[in-house]
Amino acid sequence: MPTTSTIRVQVEAALAHKFPSALTPPARMVRPVVPTGIESLDALVAGGFPVGAVTELVGEECSGRTSVALSFLSKITAAGKVCAWIDGSNSFHPASAAAAGVDLKRLLWVRCGVQEHTAIQETKRFALPDACFAAKAITKGLHGGGHGTHPRTETKGLPAALGRFLGSEAIVPRCAEPIAKPRPTPPHYESTLVSASAPVRKPKRAKAYDAIEQALRSTDLLIQTGGFSAIVLDLGGVAPEFAARVELSTWHRYRVAAEQTQSSILLLSQYACAKSSSELQLRLSPMENTHEERTVFAGLRARAEVLRQRYTERPANVIPLRKPPQHAQDGCWKQSTSWVGTR
Amino acid sequence: MSSTAELYACVYVREFPAQALLRLRPELHDKQCVVLEGEAPSQAICSLNTRARLVGLRRGMTKVEVDTFEGVTILQRSLRTENSVRMILLECAGSFSPRIEDRSIDGLFICVIDAMGTESLFGPPVELAKRIRQSIRAMGIVAAVTVSANLQTAVCVARGLTGNVPLKVIHRGEEAKLLSPLLLSVLDLTVAQAEIFQAWGIRTVGALAALPERALISRLGQDAKRLLLLARGESPHLLQPIDVPFVLEEQAELDFPLDDLESLLFGLSAMLEQLILRAKSRVFALAAVTITLHLDGGGSHERTVSPRVPTNDKALWLKLLHLDLESHPPPASILAVHLHAEPGATSKVQLGLFAPQLPEPGRLDVTLARIAAIVGDSHVGRAVLDDTRRRDDFHLEPFSIPTSVPEPAIEEAARLSLRVLRPEEHVSVETRHGRPFEMYFRSRRYALEQVYGPWLSGGDWWNESIWGDEQWDIVGRARDSAFLACRLTRDFIQNRWSVAGLYD
Repeated sequence: MPTTSTIRVQVEAALAHKFPSALTPPARMVRPVVPTGIESLDALVAGGFPVGAVTELVGEECSGRTSVALSFLSKITAAGKVCAWIDGSNSFHPASAAAAGVDLKRLLWVRCGVQEHTAIQETKRFALPDACFAAKAITKGLHGGGHGTHPRTETKGLPAALGRFLGSEAIVPRCAEPIAKPRPTPPHYESTLVSASAPVRKPKRAKAYDAIEQALRSTDLLIQTGGFSAIVLDLGGVAPEFAARVELSTWHRYRVAAEQTQSSILLLSQYACAKSSSELQLRLSPMENTHEERTVFAGLRARAEVLRQRYTERPANVIPLRKPPQHAQDGCWKQSTSWVGTR
Repeated sequence: MSSTAELYACVYVREFPAQALLRLRPELHDKQCVVLEGEAPSQAICSLNTRARLVGLRRGMTKVEVDTFEGVTILQRSLRTENSVRMILLECAGSFSPRIEDRSIDGLFICVIDAMGTESLFGPPVELAKRIRQSIRAMGIVAAVTVSANLQTAVCVARGLTGNVPLKVIHRGEEAKLLSPLLLSVLDLTVAQAEIFQAWGIRTVGALAALPERALISRLGQDAKRLLLLARGESPHLLQPIDVPFVLEEQAELDFPLDDLESLLFGLSAMLEQLILRAKSRVFALAAVTITLHLDGGGSHERTVSPRVPTNDKALWLKLLHLDLESHPPPASILAVHLHAEPGATSKVQLGLFAPQLPEPGRLDVTLARIAAIVGDSHVGRAVLDDTRRRDDFHLEPFSIPTSVPEPAIEEAARLSLRVLRPEEHVSVETRHGRPFEMYFRSRRYALEQVYGPWLSGGDWWNESIWGDEQWDIVGRARDSAFLACRLTRDFIQNRWSVAGLYD
């Protein structure tokens, strides 16, 4: 009777050419981290966001996800590395990024789902009312420019005008010939044709899916290229019902690719869609008002909570008998606006 | 300059019209091809390839006679192509010596290179001839090369070479001996002179050289002196060097209008290969390639592709051109293709052990071109802030990896950033004493807890695009305790409230 370990070895050996070490769990890996630049957040997530893994920042709008991501990017660009911002909802604000310390020269910005008409600057056109202009000359006569100097020129151009008036209906009767009216062609063949240049109104839902698809494909290409130390996939403005429909295999693919290229992938969303593919998952609560200033908007207080974190480093291999002191699972910090100086 | 050290190499290309047309079309090399010249009913063969000659086709045959042969590919003579190939060959010859002379005549390419003093660079004359022939072969043209101390002798011997001998080095003093078996046609006789020699029964150069000088001049005039010197290999010639500009250009005319991009790429591949080869021979890389497609109906379609770093990678160039043409297809069928490349310095990157990991320039170019095809050309790049307070205060520039050292980061507190709503969302705002008090946004009514502002901004009042608005920073809460921190603006011009962005 073979033991379980023997069977396991046999199964693994049989499957080795397809799935190497199929039944052995992968080794636990404590990844290197890059600090986010926010002290209390770094303390909460054991040093910073992991390198070569997917980190997810989940929260509603006005919860401070973008600020955290920009703070993280500022640390990376300061080290001379390059990063990318895949903007799924076209809401990136370069001035805010520059104020957060991000080197814009080292940041590739991909704008997805841009609607062309937004680019046109609205201009105020000035036009005088009609009353200011001289009235148009009133045309006289059947053919527009008639009434000559003599009564005989009154009928000048009359046959042509009649022809235009009657159009194809004009009939020249011939003697003893039955007059057959040409049958009008049914116009419905024409009416069903839609010209290719006519603008097609897309429903809002289709636009959102277009933007998500563009963002996912761009991210795929960038991860495969390699060399980007951080890639931020910003689905923060995308409603949860759309983000939830992204296939789970997409996130798994990103996770594997990030591990190979050693780039940090940061996903900003309203709904935790990456599930187990994310190494670190943070939930940010809506920010709170600080009530510090009465005249100038000074900032807001943000709060984050760790939803999941893989393989945190243990201080020692010895398992204590008593329950060890537990880490705090949430932290809060103040985010001040760019026009507020340090005090 | 002593005359004993003189050395000239002559490059001679037979059947130049055919070779120029077949240069970029390797698929026709195994077929019988003839080049016709002349107006429609009286077209005649002016040049043909070896396979066509082997089946019995000859120069001067009319189109009707050509039609009696099976499987013959007929091409029309193109002087434009010939000229461009001539420039390419001259430029290639110019890489051996700056002093070259073009002695081409109709249907033949003849170029003389002053090779004096190049022995230390290229070795003995035989080696030089081999290298010249190889570099011309790399351009897709088969040439014969002769080397001699006398320029005219080199040209005459080259014209008299039979097909099996591609190289000939004429040693000093052997000129007359080598010239003597050649036919008189190598000497460029006039029609009258040819008739006279025909009548006298003189067929070869050797026979002409043996004639008494004084008697010949008394019968034919002073030109006979020149002919005699030519025949004896003693004719003096002052080289008239020309200056050939280094222009990286290739062109191809298509047999029929082409709609398919994939088939165009096959042609582009051969053309790019040539461009890269020529750039490489001068230690350059291609920095930008401009492709001009001449279209059916007279128009043309021009696109320029320039990667971040000059490169000689053909596959990369093909991919970039493919992606660019795919996103900007020509409006009509293609009749001819013209490529123009700008040379750039070959990229030298010193990598450091501790340098940060950066994207590879070639791969990044292809990736950015692919992303541009997905999201649009103007929607990918790096943002550059403009000096304005207008709402969209930036423009996009093509992304490139900066080589500068990053500025040291200043330790700052966490900054609050804005998420811009594009397009901005119009909202209804209720004001009290001129300040917003309540607002209705995304089907929620928010009571505004904190209102900061107004901050006024405006500009362009001197022209039509006048703009002006007031900004408010708003912190509000809905009845269901939904939180909102946003930037609210009121447009002066249109008197409209809208949410410009959310603080996130």
